[in-house]
Amino acid sequence: MKAVAYPAFALTAFQSRLVYRNQVWASAFGDLVSIFARIAIWTAAFAGASQVDGITLPEMVTYALLSAPLLYWEYARVLYDVGDAVRTGDVAVFLLKPLHYPSYLLSTHFGHFAFELIAVVVPVALIVGFTVGLLPPASFFHGLMFFPYWAVSWLILFTLACLCGLIAFWLLTAFSLEWFLMAIMSLFSGAIVPLWFLPTPLATLFGYLPFAWISYYPAAVYLGKLDRTASWLHLGIGLIWLGLLTAAVLVLWAKARHRLIVQGG
Amino acid sequence: MTKIVAAADVRKIFRQPKRKPGLGGALTGLFSREFTEVRAVDGISFAIKAGEAVGYLGPNGAGKSTMIKMMTGILVPSSGDLTVLGRVPHSHRMINAAEIGVVFGQRSQLWWDLPVRDSFELNRHIYDISAQRFAENLARLTAMLDMVGYIDRPVRQLSLGQRMRAEIAMALLHDPKILFLDEPTIGLDVVAKDVVRKFLAEINRQRGTTIILTTHDLVDIEEICPRLIMVDDGKLLFDGELRHLRATLGNRRRLTLEFATDPGPIALKTAELVADEGAAKHFLLEKEHTSILDVLTELGSGHNLTDIKLEEPNIEEVIRTFYQNKPSLAGARA
Repeated sequence: MKAVAYPAFALTAFQSRLVYRNQVWASAFGDLVSIFARIAIWTAAFAGASQVDGITLPEMVTYALLSAPLLYWEYARVLYDVGDAVRTGDVAVFLLKPLHYPSYLLSTHFGHFAFELIAVVVPVALIVGFTVGLLPPASFFHGLMFFPYWAVSWLILFTLACLCGLIAFWLLTAFSLEWFLMAIMSLFSGAIVPLWFLPTPLATLFGYLPFAWISYYPAAVYLGKLDRTASWLHLGIGLIWLGLLTAAVLVLWAKARHRLIVQGG
Repeated sequence: MTKIVAAADVRKIFRQPKRKPGLGGALTGLFSREFTEVRAVDGISFAIKAGEAVGYLGPNGAGKSTMIKMMTGILVPSSGDLTVLGRVPHSHRMINAAEIGVVFGQRSQLWWDLPVRDSFELNRHIYDISAQRFAENLARLTAMLDMVGYIDRPVRQLSLGQRMRAEIAMALLHDPKILFLDEPTIGLDVVAKDVVRKFLAEINRQRGTTIILTTHDLVDIEEICPRLIMVDDGKLLFDGELRHLRATLGNRRRLTLEFATDPGPIALKTAELVADEGAAKHFLLEKEHTSILDVLTELGSGHNLTDIKLEEPNIEEVIRTFYQNKPSLAGARA
């Protein structure tokens, strides 16, 4: 098959989301509530101070929007998709076609993400921007740098969700894993609390784990909290993590496929 | 004609962990594992030529789906040789997948939320079908399977019969050389079954697409497949034409003679008396080529015969007899 099929999957996933228009309102509303709740918490925590640990309140508002709906997207869909396909044996349907399942997943979920970005995240950002106000990138360099960070963030979250979905093949349930992943990631990624507010030992540890590249580093780069050298260095480390996670997904998929075709699931 | 599927002594043995009941059992299962062996396919050999339509028949758990999965390359045989289109299916999964079509009666391949047409369009990309060939095939299949009325409706709104027709059409868009169907008529109503059967028979006869289908519905076999492979407990019971199965089993035609008055006992060489109700007598014809005329000639005139009824053995009866007499008939070939 030609690689042209993969963009077609993304487009199809995008179109399939148009069917459930009510979901758009529900998730936009959910995201707004979550952002305004975090803005309220930060406003209270700052208690009128102009800055805390060198961070201003407007920076925290921008961080709240960047970290959660944008960077920390709804990865649970990937996890359920993989988990269900593996548990019910529907994954056989993909094996019957001349296509590569992980690539199929990647393109499909990119389609879902593109839909959420356009239908949910952008309107939410506009609402937050016009009501509370959002900051532009700290500099032109940081603004440009945000895009490769964003790509790495997206792919790391995708590979982590795939890994958990694939592990379901051995544990035969994705449910407990999802809670496990959710708890770890919301803390380790900095999606709720940025690492700069954590105690130094924890922040240092979390700063080296791949989760930090999901929300914390991209948002920190956008806000100019990393200088040029640190920005390039951390992008490199992020890419190494991405390489390792991708390799892990491919190995696990090969194992799952082997088990599926040898033991019949 | 060339062999396109060849199976030689193919076996598939599944190792299933023994589970002890209860929580304690689940916990011990985590540490020590005992396995039971399940022989799903146990030494099956057959060869299928291009253009054949073969019905793979057996009761639930006979190993039908396992065999289909091995032929489509998504399951590896434990031992034996299996080639499809000259290749070992599982080690050439991608190439094999591009040349076969597969329909699972109990698993949908259509995109649930989107119109049927969009799923077809996606398959065009997956199988890299040229626009012209796609348009031709789509038009032909839409007309043959009467899908015009619902091709633009989302799959979730379709009836099972409509969906199954769409599944079959989708599996044929890329002109596969072999079409595998795992229980294609399961759950369909009489009309929908009929449409599916007629269509499959037609593409097999007219376009020469090789068809291999599993079923436990005998009518599927009667209407689509001249050739029948019967399995049970993973073993081959019969491989040959349906009419030969009747001959092999010696299922005989039943002749009923009705008289105006009881003619008294009648003994014939050409037919065996099996039930005597006085004025109505039931015979089984001894041989396949025995005609009613032979019987009537032997009977002679002067019996005041009022009615004659000749019944072919019903295929369900044939198969039932087969499975009941299985141990003595195992390995029968025609």
